[in-house]
Amino acid sequence: MYPAIELVRASFGRYSVTGLHQGTVGLRNYARLLGLEALPAVVGNTAVWVALVVAITLVLSLGLAQLLNESFPGRRLVRWALIVPWAASLIMTSKLFVWIYDYYFGLLNHLLAAAGRAPIDWLGDDRTVMGAMIAVGVFVSLPFTTYVLLAGLQTIAGEVYEAARVDGATGWRSYRWITLPLLRPALLVATVLNLIYVFNSFPIVWTLNDRNPGFAHDTMITFMYKIAFKSALRDVGLAAALGVVNVLLILAAVLAYLRAARWREEPA
Amino acid sequence: MTKTYTLPRNFCSMGSMTRRGLLALVLLGATTLAASGCGDGGRPGSIKVVIAEYSRDHTRPFWQALAEEYTKQTGVRVDLQVIDWNSIDQQVSTMVQNNQPPDVLNLNSFSSYARDGLLYSGDEVLSPKTREDFLEAFAQGGTYQGKLYGFPILASARAFFYNRDLLTRAGVAAPPRTWDDFVQAARRVQALGGGVIGYALPLGPEEAQAEWSIWMWNNGGDWKTGGAWAINSEKNVQTLTFLAALANTHKVTQVNPGKTNRTDGAFQLFKDGKVGMVMGFSPLAAQLDAEGKVAYGVTQMPTNVGTPVTLGVEDYLMAFKKKGNQEAVRQFLDLYYRPEQITRWIGAEGFLPVTKSGRERMSGNEKLRPYLEALPNARLVPTTDPTWDKVKLDVQQSIGLAVQPGGDPRQVLDRIQKSAEESAR
Repeated sequence: MYPAIELVRASFGRYSVTGLHQGTVGLRNYARLLGLEALPAVVGNTAVWVALVVAITLVLSLGLAQLLNESFPGRRLVRWALIVPWAASLIMTSKLFVWIYDYYFGLLNHLLAAAGRAPIDWLGDDRTVMGAMIAVGVFVSLPFTTYVLLAGLQTIAGEVYEAARVDGATGWRSYRWITLPLLRPALLVATVLNLIYVFNSFPIVWTLNDRNPGFAHDTMITFMYKIAFKSALRDVGLAAALGVVNVLLILAAVLAYLRAARWREEPA
Repeated sequence: MTKTYTLPRNFCSMGSMTRRGLLALVLLGATTLAASGCGDGGRPGSIKVVIAEYSRDHTRPFWQALAEEYTKQTGVRVDLQVIDWNSIDQQVSTMVQNNQPPDVLNLNSFSSYARDGLLYSGDEVLSPKTREDFLEAFAQGGTYQGKLYGFPILASARAFFYNRDLLTRAGVAAPPRTWDDFVQAARRVQALGGGVIGYALPLGPEEAQAEWSIWMWNNGGDWKTGGAWAINSEKNVQTLTFLAALANTHKVTQVNPGKTNRTDGAFQLFKDGKVGMVMGFSPLAAQLDAEGKVAYGVTQMPTNVGTPVTLGVEDYLMAFKKKGNQEAVRQFLDLYYRPEQITRWIGAEGFLPVTKSGRERMSGNEKLRPYLEALPNARLVPTTDPTWDKVKLDVQQSIGLAVQPGGDPRQVLDRIQKSAEESAR
């Protein structure tokens, strides 16, 4: 609780470029936030980033978890391999992707060239930057999500499927009406945790976007950092105000999601 | 609320994400923790020395050895922190917020700290011999309101690098001296085809203010005129329009120069032999020599005003006022500024001397000759004005936008100027 109190306190403060506290300004930092020209774009980016990374991660993880739940030769190896992007440092993973995406040296453009296509500046072209970041976001979120869902799958007793088979439910019907409902607790956990992780994710957006001037591709987390240290604002108090807003926003999003999820449970 | 917040932080440590973790510390940090370790009156048991990492190989070993020597002489321990350039601003800011500033700090800015009254002046912590040894221009560059607060620690100068093979193949007999020659040379090199680039122009956020300064000065513009900011002067609009034309009309730069950084962008391309010309400095030369892949030459900047101007960069040591630390800090600075110490380090890092004795000792170094020769025509960015600390960041975050297709140089410069005037108030 203490850090949260400090964050709120800082958000009421006026700070010099050096970090020196120069008195309190009440709610003025919050009012100034609303006046920031870049804010609407940043909020939009954040919504797109969180929604797409979480949604794509969940869909892919459902498939992966299903696959890893079947027995096949080498399953143990695949399960271990899936941990790698999770275990690697996010900065290192992000830097690796910077070089995969690089216009001149990147693997992706070598593949395009081999296919006779023109190269793309993945991290510089305004149309591709967000997509490139989302792909990395999904890549690093898959392991955790898959394992949560895999754990969920393993709690579903085999007898349930047998009973369903006797009643004639197989394949997609069995998945839709047995697996998914019984996986609901695991899905709920995976979604909530991913919402928070992805919203708060700093290194991917920071590293992949660090060549781009301005704030056109920032999320609220990287924007907060730029306000504090990397823009003409250079204002710790203003950044703290955005930090408070961020915490409240993710809290509201999670509560809204939980309410919606419970609401859907009732008619079932 | 606490619970929600601890989740992302746990996640950070899982991914061993330092910057985000640090950010959490900065923004959530315990701003009221007890004041730092220096004692109540008397001599402190230790001093905190914060140094920026210029290179993995040389920075820490040198300062570690210096700290040991210092402890041996004085009995005062040194808490040495070597911090990378990416996070030093933020870490120092956190220290100041927490009322735990370093005793000695190495940074590329100083005047904001002087304005905030946090620093000792040179009179208070440097011996007269040390003060008199500084080269005049660098002492000027560390002066705020008539007093020396930013003690020169080292300097560097930019120079114009060219790929000999590419220029020869393109039929460019000598490196360009004027802007017109430069455009011709860049066009010819670019025309070689096969992915060859005429000029690598890094106007991305990493160091845009450096690249911009050099072009600006070589067209007769400046950051300020007569003490007032002049960022959107006609000359400067003309210069930025010229740079945008390099990218969008002549098409002699790499793709998206406004979104290219120096280290992993322009320098990387030059080291790979893909680029005809680039503005570099001595560490780039050291890397080129080590790799041995590119035959390169180093010369003066092409200019539009007759005398080529280059950018000199001066970094600083600062001494923070803390109760009872003055004598300990003075002894530490005296040790660093002994000619053999400062020269050893500057030499190892490949930078330029800031003292008269250092210049004498290093004058025989052939590798440094082009930079030493450029020094008399080197200009410094206005670090003596505290507003610069914001202007620099503004330029880094905006000037690249002006050279993107559809960018508007005048509008970008007008906005930076307006913001500078507001900060200066």
